Amino acid sequence: MKHACHYASRLASDSLDRPLTLWERIRLKLHLSICNNCKNCDNNLKLMRQINELMRINDYGHIRLSEQQLKHLHQALDSDTKA
Amino acid sequence: MNNPDNPHAWLKEHGDYLYRYAMSRLHNEELAQDMLQETLLAGWKGYDKFAGQSSIRTWLVGILKHKIIDYIRREIRGRNLKDAVESDPTSAFFNANGSWSEAPNAWKENPEDLCKNEQFHKTLELCISRLPEKQQLVFRMRDIVGEDTPTVCKCCDITSTHLHVLLHRARLTLRKCLNMHWFEKGTDS
Repeated sequence: MKHACHYASRLASDSLDRPLTLWERIRLKLHLSICNNCKNCDNNLKLMRQINELMRINDYGHIRLSEQQLKHLHQALDSDTKA
Repeated sequence: MNNPDNPHAWLKEHGDYLYRYAMSRLHNEELAQDMLQETLLAGWKGYDKFAGQSSIRTWLVGILKHKIIDYIRREIRGRNLKDAVESDPTSAFFNANGSWSEAPNAWKENPEDLCKNEQFHKTLELCISRLPEKQQLVFRMRDIVGEDTPTVCKCCDITSTHLHVLLHRARLTLRKCLNMHWFEKGTDS
């Protein structure tokens, strides 16, 4: 199929943002089953997505505002809400 | 101070939550603090618009989201990336017959380790900051901030098809950049 890998990479990217149509899913699946390069690309894109998701969820689960930051924020709010 | 409808009370009750939310998207303490401050203030000024249909926390997160998006937009514009042409780089990754000009390889590292790796963060940020303006904006909104596609389309005033095109370009370019500066390079260098 002409432009198969280019098109497959587009479908792989799109699948991160919208549900693919049945026909698109079949085409992508078929292509990935015979093309190692595209399988790698698909996995790479999924990994990038996963890392960004994890960074949002995990990374800062433990942090809190410091006393100093709280003090600064309360002061800033005071001066702005009274202005 | 006992009135739950004032920014000081919100800061006490939701400050840490909002701060974490901002940090996980901006990765910068000072900036996250500024965004939090602006959010609490905007909430206070616009409190009459809060209809009480959602919790106050959800409402404040909504304000914070917009503040972050506004910030990202301003920041990227300010860098004047216009010269980086919004041409289609994806064609450069493929031969005329549509096969890969440079075969992608498998990435072995696992995401849990990578997302905790400071050095990887820096590499990722570097690669993102090299993207042209529009691609960078939509990629940051969609994959870093985690907005849904209708919100990104609305914020950037583009159709969903255009969004898919831009994200495809951004992701393939990033994939290549990360491959070159991280995965092929080896983790410890």
